[in-house]
Amino acid sequence: MSGLDQLILFTTDLLALFAVYLIINIGLNLQQGITGIPNFGILFAVAGGAYFTGGLSTRLALSLLGIHTDLSPIFDNVSVLALINPILKSQPIIAVGFMILFLAIGGVAGAAMGLISSAPAVRLREDYLAITLLAFGEILNVIGIGYQPLIGGPPGVSVPDVLGWAGEFRFYAGMFALLFVAIAVFAYAGYLIKTPLGRTLRAIRDNEIVARSLGKDITRYRTVAILIGSTLCGFAGSLWVMYSGAVTPTYARFDWTFLPWLMILLGGMGSNRGALVGTFIFVALDKLIIYYKYTFAGILPFDIVWLNYLLLGLITILILIYRPEGLVRTWQKEPSSVQPKK
Amino acid sequence: MGSLLQVKGVKRSFGNLHALDGVTLNVEPKTVSILIGPNGSGKTTLVNVITGFQKPDEGQIHYGSTEITGWSPQQVYGAGIARTFQIPSMFGKLTVLENLLVAEKNHPGESFAKSLFKRLWAKHEADAVEKASKISQLLGLSEQLNTPASLLSGGQMKLVEIGRALMSDANLYLLDEPVSGVNPTLAHEIFARIIRLREQYGITFFIIEHRLDIALKYVDYVNAMVSGKLLAAGPPEQVINDPKVIEAYLGA
Amino acid sequence: MELLPTIVGWLIYSALLSLMALGVTLLYKTTKVANFAHASFVTVAAYVTYTSTVILSRNPYLGAPIAFIVVGLVGLLLFYAVLEPMRRRNSSTVMLMIGTLAFDIIMLGITNIHADYLNTVFKVPSRNVLLSGLDFKFMGEPGILFVALGTLALCTVAMYLLLNFTTLGIALRASMENPSLSEAIGINVSMMLAVSWFIAGGLAGVAGALLPLWIEISPDIGTVLLASIFCASIVGGLDQIYGAILGGLLLGFFDVVGTSVLASVVGPWISFYEPVIPLIVLSVTLIVAPRGLAGLRLRRGK
Repeated sequence: MSGLDQLILFTTDLLALFAVYLIINIGLNLQQGITGIPNFGILFAVAGGAYFTGGLSTRLALSLLGIHTDLSPIFDNVSVLALINPILKSQPIIAVGFMILFLAIGGVAGAAMGLISSAPAVRLREDYLAITLLAFGEILNVIGIGYQPLIGGPPGVSVPDVLGWAGEFRFYAGMFALLFVAIAVFAYAGYLIKTPLGRTLRAIRDNEIVARSLGKDITRYRTVAILIGSTLCGFAGSLWVMYSGAVTPTYARFDWTFLPWLMILLGGMGSNRGALVGTFIFVALDKLIIYYKYTFAGILPFDIVWLNYLLLGLITILILIYRPEGLVRTWQKEPSSVQPKK
Repeated sequence: MGSLLQVKGVKRSFGNLHALDGVTLNVEPKTVSILIGPNGSGKTTLVNVITGFQKPDEGQIHYGSTEITGWSPQQVYGAGIARTFQIPSMFGKLTVLENLLVAEKNHPGESFAKSLFKRLWAKHEADAVEKASKISQLLGLSEQLNTPASLLSGGQMKLVEIGRALMSDANLYLLDEPVSGVNPTLAHEIFARIIRLREQYGITFFIIEHRLDIALKYVDYVNAMVSGKLLAAGPPEQVINDPKVIEAYLGA
Repeated sequence: MELLPTIVGWLIYSALLSLMALGVTLLYKTTKVANFAHASFVTVAAYVTYTSTVILSRNPYLGAPIAFIVVGLVGLLLFYAVLEPMRRRNSSTVMLMIGTLAFDIIMLGITNIHADYLNTVFKVPSRNVLLSGLDFKFMGEPGILFVALGTLALCTVAMYLLLNFTTLGIALRASMENPSLSEAIGINVSMMLAVSWFIAGGLAGVAGALLPLWIEISPDIGTVLLASIFCASIVGGLDQIYGAILGGLLLGFFDVVGTSVLASVVGPWISFYEPVIPLIVLSVTLIVAPRGLAGLRLRRGK
């Protein structure tokens, strides 16, 4: 493969990953940076979006396309997809329609997971909330591995190829789709901050007691923030499954809870722009480092992926101690939702 | 009965500490009254109980003809009672204008569904900004509207507290030491404005205050509390010359 | 469902869980932070036992005292390298939690590297391994039953004696109740916190060290147990030290006995859903009694 081709592939992959993480991080920032909800269990919503998309997409495709078969969408996954994918390949409009449908499934699943995991503790102090959210985070993987009919157990399943119509440009199409959603999400987040809703969320973050004395229903607002954030995380999980074409029960806390936190910490919490910058810097660096890590692969007596854990854990701690406001110095004052009359 | 606020026999203890030991008092509409008493006499606890931040162990509270005993802070606020805190608490990262706007009641823009369509809340927002501008002019905060609240001085924060209460269009304002830490000139101005608000809009004020040197010339009634009980209530000259009150103050 | 093995399973699991939850509660009371790294404390301890047993051919129970020291030191490391510097710049609770999470990730990496190392260099299995075969039997039951219960009893008594009859313990309690006052009367609060991290680490160490004798361990064993550990702590009351024991017992009951009962009623496939049980118990507790069971009695005052 020529150098240019390699570069394009590298960039495509990078932008796709960047888009997915941006969506998650905006969702996380909405909860932590804007409303002050420490969601250490966003894995639950991301995996929820991924698993439900993975588990339901083939089934839905079968019934919507009117294909009758005795094959199981999960256990005979490959054969069933052989029936579905050719149709999608020749009908891009249907494929895109499916993309939107699966995205919606991901969003609903994410929101549901967010609701379930936050309900017991949303009225309580932030540490209880944090613990509960973290605890729920672990559970989907276990069920995904153990309960075969969901996504086929450890090997996972593939999903209908909604990008097949793009042929060899499949991954570019995917990247554009992901970026499109990411930009839309980013724009929405910017809009939300300027609404009275966004303002009230920030007020609750700054001083819950006073907000309560002004008549704000704290539980309701926190729930709204968690729902929106979790929906976004669900979108991300779903998009990632569609981009990579398959889902496996390997969504780890490291990748989908810890790294998002590191990224928004890097950029500066509370700011959407900070989330953007933090995400980009991290994803770019990480992808660059991966290329060089493989040179060590043969030498070390252990899987090099663990080096990631060590390095990133250490970097997080350094940031927490020496630059908790983030590498990208965001303004001292947040952008205001409203300007005074002149 | 005519009273705007009636507190009857309210008791509240914290373990062995009887913060409120059977307090009965009335607040008449369109009056400016103050609540005085030594530290620890239960003044802030009384306000906390009235506004729902704490529940009374015994007793009732009526606002007009409605009983509000045990209501949550949100409900009390919705009923038309606003309060300030002794230590001004700001929404630090929000601007002064935003701090005021958060106090706006029933803003359609706060609901998720409606927030998506700017048309549904833009007018209410513009009206609220207008109201906030007027209030900040009244309080002398116009220059600071775009300043993050965390950068204000203590006295300015006090003004924002009062401003927030005014945004709520409440009928009854419970102010907890609104001029403590504020220089005397500004303190007099604040009280003068309170009187003006009462004249113009018929608002009722119930104020916890220590600075008798400033407050006394503006108020209609004085209530004196000691050790969780109401010692005396009435017009200023009557209460401050009451021997029981003098003894309680000198003794404390 | 067989009664005796289920009860034995319940007691063993509960004893170990209680030891772990005891540490979490202690840390919450002193440092006011939920220690997400407790998971890796346990994991490190489990591998201390495994390594010393399989590589150095020592008695598996020897892992416990070694792990006590090792994990105690790990706790001290977390305190001095991460939390204390953050405390000094007045970091918020959330930041402290992220700090423990980051430390947990590092430890997870180290444990995995160690496991890989055992695999490739020493050529021994290091994932999904179980040492119960090396256990002794007493009165027909696995030795771990008596050791776990005995250790729990020993540690509880030791804690009680420490906190109530030693100067150190009293100073520790003072720091828990009122840090600023303690500081004012000359107690070195920072050192008291360090002590509590060592003890909590030690407790997690002992519990984790005994784990391989009963449960299959892998580098993610701590993560899998974390929800249960926190649940036990919360059920007992995050600010009631001895409540952790009650929490461990209850959680172990619902988990072990509950799964057993469900399995015999609906079928063995239900055991896949075992991880849901601690979450259900946690959710119910938070909705009904967020201060934990010990807090229920205190309702009258408020």
